[in-house]
Amino acid sequence: MNDDPLRPHLALDGELDAAAQIAFERALAERPGDAAAYGRLTRLRDALRAHAPREAAPERLRARIERMGAPARLRVWRPVALAAAVAAVAALAGYQAGRAGRGDPALAALVAGHERAALSGQPIDVASSDRHTVKPWLAARAPLGAFVPDLSADGFVLLGGRLEILDRRPVPAAVYRRREHLISVVELPLADAGGGEGDVDGYHVARWRDGERAYVAISDLDAAELNSFAETFSKAAEKAKPASR
Amino acid sequence: MDGEIARRRFREIVPPNLDAAYRLAGWIAGPSEAEDVVQDAALRALAALATVAPANPRAWWLTIVRNAALSAAKRAQGRATGRADEREAEEAADPAPDALAALIAKGEAARVRDALARLPPALRETLMLREIEDLNYREIAALTQAPMGTVMSRLARARAALANWLGQHDER
Repeated sequence: MNDDPLRPHLALDGELDAAAQIAFERALAERPGDAAAYGRLTRLRDALRAHAPREAAPERLRARIERMGAPARLRVWRPVALAAAVAAVAALAGYQAGRAGRGDPALAALVAGHERAALSGQPIDVASSDRHTVKPWLAARAPLGAFVPDLSADGFVLLGGRLEILDRRPVPAAVYRRREHLISVVELPLADAGGGEGDVDGYHVARWRDGERAYVAISDLDAAELNSFAETFSKAAEKAKPASR
Repeated sequence: MDGEIARRRFREIVPPNLDAAYRLAGWIAGPSEAEDVVQDAALRALAALATVAPANPRAWWLTIVRNAALSAAKRAQGRATGRADEREAEEAADPAPDALAALIAKGEAARVRDALARLPPALRETLMLREIEDLNYREIAALTQAPMGTVMSRLARARAALANWLGQHDER
């Protein structure tokens, strides 16, 4: 059966089924000439795998490629691309609504807001790492007072604040940064609260509430880091409660 | 038009298979073209991924790279010089932990690469997809648009040729 000249190659490449492979090896044991030939094939493979050129892609190419596929915030947008992106956001909202259990239009709008803000290159309306600047700015423009804790000790740097329009009402969003990732935290009336975490097409979403407010955090951070952000944020809220908010 | 969806698919498919793409482009179009070819292919892939969710992403992506490389190779015909120089430059850059072992290894590496360079392109491509990128016969057949039987016979012929060229040195 080993007279088929291709069979040793099939065996070498793992293309035989288990029974045929066993039969092949059994036949080899009985025919030293075939075994020697098979040994040469094996050594040839080892030599190839050891010595064939195996260049990795240059770093600059990898960086360019990764930028191409990066979430929108990392890229430089031309007006045309921006229009396409806005269409993509609209499509995203539609896509979102089409998925079972994920058809929360408010959430889709908030994620769209985060994405739009991120890809416009202006994620914030007021830029300040000082919570005492951001908080009054938001408070003056949104009916809800915003809670804007300083989380820099935990690695979340305050970038500023932004207004989101939800259901035609302005709602305050604080924007934090961790490494190169933006996090938008939107504060909602309790009535609008959802719970839990999720994934809205490329963005992770964490939702939680305390006694008076509901929060939605949106980011391209991974879920674990976003959850740790949510925890850090609620702890800060808990601490701040007795004092004025 | 679904930019974010396309980009997410892109992230799952292209960066993990970037080295393979770069090598494939290099074998077909030459190392000096590989970078442009891969970038071109990546743009095409990103555009296509808005509407396509490939069943075998790796083979799908490498097919795009291969087509881009073939077009580049066609364009570059006639100015195909300097490849050998680049190969040698790469070899010279290999690290050498132990001088004697390195000398031997370099000798063998050089012979393997010379032998590979002598293979007809179709045989070399099939062999490299199998041995370096670890694609199975079916994937290679899809990628190179050749019947399985052709893939098998190309592999057998490539190995026979290499064994022949390299074997002469082993029997010193």
